[in-house]
Amino acid sequence: MNILEAKNIKKNFGGVAALSGASLTCREGRITGLLGANGSGKSTLSKIIAGVYAPDDGEITYLGKKIHYKNPHEAKQQGIGMVYQNLSLVPELTVWQNIVLGDERNAGYFLDDKNARERTTDIVHKLLPTLDIEKKVFELTPSEMQVVEIAKAVSRKPKLLILDEPTAALEKVQVTSLFNMMKELASSGVAIIFTSHRLWEVVEICHDLTIFRNGRNVGSMDFDKDEKDVKKIIFYITGSQSETSIAKTCAETCGETRLSIKNLSLGTILRNISFDLKKGEILGVGGLAGQGQQELMLALAGNFPKIGCDARIDGKPIKLTKPSKAIRNGIVLVPGDRETEGLFSKHSVFSNLIFSKIGVDKKIFIIPHRKLKKECEQIVDILALKAASLDAPVSTLSGGNQQKVVIGKWLGLEIKVLLLSDPAKGIDIGAKADLYSYIVNQVRSTGMSVVLYASDTKELIEYCDRLLIMYEGSIVATLGTEEITEENIIRASMHVEKE
Amino acid sequence: MQGKSMETKKRTLRDFTSKPEFSSLLILLVMFALTAILQKNFFEIKSIMRNINAFAPLILVTMGQAVVIISGGIDLSSGTALSLLTCVLTSIMKKNDPITGLYGIIVAFIVALLIGLINGFGIGYLRIPPVISTFATSFIWLGIALFLRPTPGGESVSWFGVFYNFDTLKDISGFFGTLSGFLPPSLLLIIIGCILWYVISKTKTGRYIYAVGGNSESAYESGINTAKTQMVACMINSIFIFLAALFFVGQTGSGDARMGDPLTLRSIAAAVVGGIALSGGRGNVYFALVGALILSFVNKIIFFANIPYAYQTLVGGAIVIVAIAGSQAYISYSTKTKEIKIG
Repeated sequence: MNILEAKNIKKNFGGVAALSGASLTCREGRITGLLGANGSGKSTLSKIIAGVYAPDDGEITYLGKKIHYKNPHEAKQQGIGMVYQNLSLVPELTVWQNIVLGDERNAGYFLDDKNARERTTDIVHKLLPTLDIEKKVFELTPSEMQVVEIAKAVSRKPKLLILDEPTAALEKVQVTSLFNMMKELASSGVAIIFTSHRLWEVVEICHDLTIFRNGRNVGSMDFDKDEKDVKKIIFYITGSQSETSIAKTCAETCGETRLSIKNLSLGTILRNISFDLKKGEILGVGGLAGQGQQELMLALAGNFPKIGCDARIDGKPIKLTKPSKAIRNGIVLVPGDRETEGLFSKHSVFSNLIFSKIGVDKKIFIIPHRKLKKECEQIVDILALKAASLDAPVSTLSGGNQQKVVIGKWLGLEIKVLLLSDPAKGIDIGAKADLYSYIVNQVRSTGMSVVLYASDTKELIEYCDRLLIMYEGSIVATLGTEEITEENIIRASMHVEKE
Repeated sequence: MQGKSMETKKRTLRDFTSKPEFSSLLILLVMFALTAILQKNFFEIKSIMRNINAFAPLILVTMGQAVVIISGGIDLSSGTALSLLTCVLTSIMKKNDPITGLYGIIVAFIVALLIGLINGFGIGYLRIPPVISTFATSFIWLGIALFLRPTPGGESVSWFGVFYNFDTLKDISGFFGTLSGFLPPSLLLIIIGCILWYVISKTKTGRYIYAVGGNSESAYESGINTAKTQMVACMINSIFIFLAALFFVGQTGSGDARMGDPLTLRSIAAAVVGGIALSGGRGNVYFALVGALILSFVNKIIFFANIPYAYQTLVGGAIVIVAIAGSQAYISYSTKTKEIKIG
């Protein structure tokens, strides 16, 4: 029996199509896998089903009825449970208090805590027997929090359970017990939607498979009939696009080593990362979203005081424990989220441009306004920055120009290594080309080195001299100039060879 | 099973000392010892009773304040709300008509609930930042209080003294007469407050107050009415303020539109000393009581240490800062081993 049928779902976010006609069927007692590359629409569809977003077009039938949920709470009451990637727990409450939150039962006038603890123990015991349910959530490790999140969704006895990348934060043993629980739930009739970037997990646990590319269905499999053919699945995910290769002009300008990183580690997020960055090189960092790329950029910019790392710039050992240390050594970051990390969006262009300059120079006591104004005017010229005036608030600028301000604030300092964390996110194609051509020019003419992380694989293919592929916090492959093709990247990103 | 209970026991002591509340208890012990040394008749029943009476209003107001802070808000109007309630009580009571005392209590209780309702409506439903909305309402309460009682004064029925001292009842009942020797009514009011919170903490409301203050988005996501919860928290607060008002009128027999003013910020400071996090969701209402005691002992110490009057305020402020900084340092020391989190 079909528990859920989503037909021809369309969804746009500000003119960008996230889903353009996606369909999905979930059957009673079956685990349906959702697969697709970054931005193929897996998460969007899951959230539409769970009532987080409303679809622009298309219809969803759940238990034989058409549904239009206004919020996730409504969907939850009807038996659609979703485990979110970003956690939704109250840190100050204990594990069991979180699991029953919003679903408390009374014994007489008071809360029935005994019953709540029993309910919690039943579920938690299956997933992670060692977890102390009296602990407060803020005391847990990320993987334990993920387990609590799953337990919370399961405790509501859903008819349809959506698990969006539940295994990303889990350890191997926990994944096994999660799979056992999923099988148990499925055999009791629950329909499950499961997304994961670990291909072998999906192949192992799922009964059906639906594959998305660019917001559209490109293939589906029923493992009762079809073979578990990994190659075929990868073909569905990547498509048969012809390889785009762009002539690179680097090679000869790439000189001696500029930045050398050895054994960079940060908890379980970054593991043992080592690489050398040459002068005048654009080094790409790729892989699936959320494998530690952004954390690596932040770490290189000195944002984590507890980092363990042996770093040298031009042969001189340096410490990356504070942003100011990185900046004084010529390592500057253009962060991924310019609104929150890169800019004071309510301040003027001028004050945004000068903070980094007056921040690093210890000699400045009174801010030399006139001198800085002149410098800023030059920067605006160099970057072809379009703003009403230097005094216009940054928030009034377009996305591309805002990003130029983020880069502009580092100009005038001696930049040795420029870290770009998804610099072209949310800016239009023209501005993107503009931005990259400026950076490439700078690299070629000044011998500046760049580490580039981009969520869009095409940008990496187009501009990188070398590409590191990250997977779960470590570097799993290095692609040379000739090897950087879409197929190679996806193959390496999925890390298929592992199992 | 047996092994498990052993394990739990082993953890208890370390858990207890690593709790933020533990540092407040330590500080309280130090303050207590200092006061006992400085005040010669500290352990005499009479002076214990006098101390409890002197501490009671701050303790009650702080406990209410703690409930609001835990729910994610803050109440800058609790002092003026207290003043207003004393004015309401003394305006309704007629000196020679004992029954008006009962009317006064009923009306003041309703007014107290209304105060909480309005504060909570502003915070929860209108989503005005709590600092702003309660700062604004504090002037409304003050305005009404000044309208009722432009100068301190007013009438009180004679039996109202029972909220200050059971002596008033000596003639009526032998039982209360013996009570009056060692049990101050203010302690009873505090016990009533504690029982009230104990009951609430066993209900959904109590749990939800922590959830909303800790992470209001996930609380909403879990199907909790966050606005209502914040409003209820404000109303619980005003019940505590109401109890404090009964004590005040019992003590002075009059109403004063400005008498509660200093309690507002003192109650917030006391809550913080007691380990209530200003960010909400964390803390223990009973430890707000500890915080209030610490602050009260600080006053005592300064008084008995023969510090020149001109420096008393300065020293008091400095001790509070040291106490808070000390407890913060202790907390960060005991949680130092925690894994780094990436925002």
